[in-house]
Amino acid sequence: MKQDDNHKMSEKNLDAELVEQAQKGHMPAFEMLVNRYQQRVANVIAKLVKDRSEIEDVAQEVFIKVFRALPRFRGDSSFYTWVYRIAINTAKNHLVAKSRRIQNTQVEYEEAENFSNNEDHRNLDTPDAVYARGELEQVMSKAISQLPEDLKTAIILREVDGLSYDEIAEEMGCPIGTVRSRIFRARDAIDQALRPLLDTENNRNEHVRSI
Amino acid sequence: MSDQSKQNISELMDGELSRDCSRFLLKRMNHDVDFRRSWNHYHLLRSGLQQDQQAPLMSDLGARVVQRLQNEQLQPNNERNYRSNWLKAITGTAIAASVALVAVLSFNQNNPVINDSPMLASEFTKTSKQLINPPNASVARVEQTPRYSRYPDVTPQIQHYLLDQNTQQMVPVYYRVNYLQRPQNQLSAPQIRAYTEE
Repeated sequence: MKQDDNHKMSEKNLDAELVEQAQKGHMPAFEMLVNRYQQRVANVIAKLVKDRSEIEDVAQEVFIKVFRALPRFRGDSSFYTWVYRIAINTAKNHLVAKSRRIQNTQVEYEEAENFSNNEDHRNLDTPDAVYARGELEQVMSKAISQLPEDLKTAIILREVDGLSYDEIAEEMGCPIGTVRSRIFRARDAIDQALRPLLDTENNRNEHVRSI
Repeated sequence: MSDQSKQNISELMDGELSRDCSRFLLKRMNHDVDFRRSWNHYHLLRSGLQQDQQAPLMSDLGARVVQRLQNEQLQPNNERNYRSNWLKAITGTAIAASVALVAVLSFNQNNPVINDSPMLASEFTKTSKQLINPPNASVARVEQTPRYSRYPDVTPQIQHYLLDQNTQQMVPVYYRVNYLQRPQNQLSAPQIRAYTEE
């Protein structure tokens, strides 16, 4: 660990700060926490719940439980480890409840198997949502592929491989300041590409909420 | 928002920003929607790169969760108020009904129903030692002179002896009310004897 690391707010400490604010009732802080771990939680749920259309609902349920349990979080483990356990339990409970529902409606076993294996039946999202999600993924893939090679390498080493800035600097053979700048410029470029799409989606969501 | 602020957000999410600067930025983000929007978009890129093939892309789940929490926080209060209003109404009605019932019962006990039947009048109301029978009792207690005639083994002499020796002039006799309510000519002596306890 370098001497400079002592002056940084580590990711663990950042989570602790956000948790503390959320425990005080600052909802923006909790919103930031959710967005910070939304994909990792969805990935965990997807290992148990095979129906893609249900994963987001279960993920919402996970974070609702997390919020309710926040007063009991003491920080003995990392925030994500704690969330991970809640996600696993919620996904298992979801599957149990779902199997009960299926039994109660007397659906034949074979029919239920076909239902869970059939991609066409499983995708129960509205066409608009599916299209928006698909469009978002497409725009993002395109934006990443169009990034200059040094920016693309830096952002992938950070987000996919989980390397620290020091490790990336060592890997790419450049100063840490250059890594900071490359990672930021990669994020900003993709943000600029996604912003028109996201602003439209935000406006649509705000319109739906106001109804 | 300046590029420097955006770069600070980028470094904050990676745990690469100084403590002081991080705390300042976090406070700012609590109040500034644009700062939070950049945070969300940078995390969306992270979601896209970390997304498993089986999982859908998560985009701004936080806003939906917070919206749901705010809706749920409103609902229980409304429901609680609704329930408490109902409870108050039901409790009030129950208390009023209880008071009314007690009043009716106590009025009935103080003013026993007097049947117009001459037989009942003679049996229930004219005897000074008569006990008060509840209006809805199935068995009525009436005091009569003792009789020993139901015992055939007892000779008339012994019956007279018992009558002479018995200091208790009146003994309680229990009748079923439906028999008492029949016209007197239908109430034969054997029937009365059958329901007599001595």
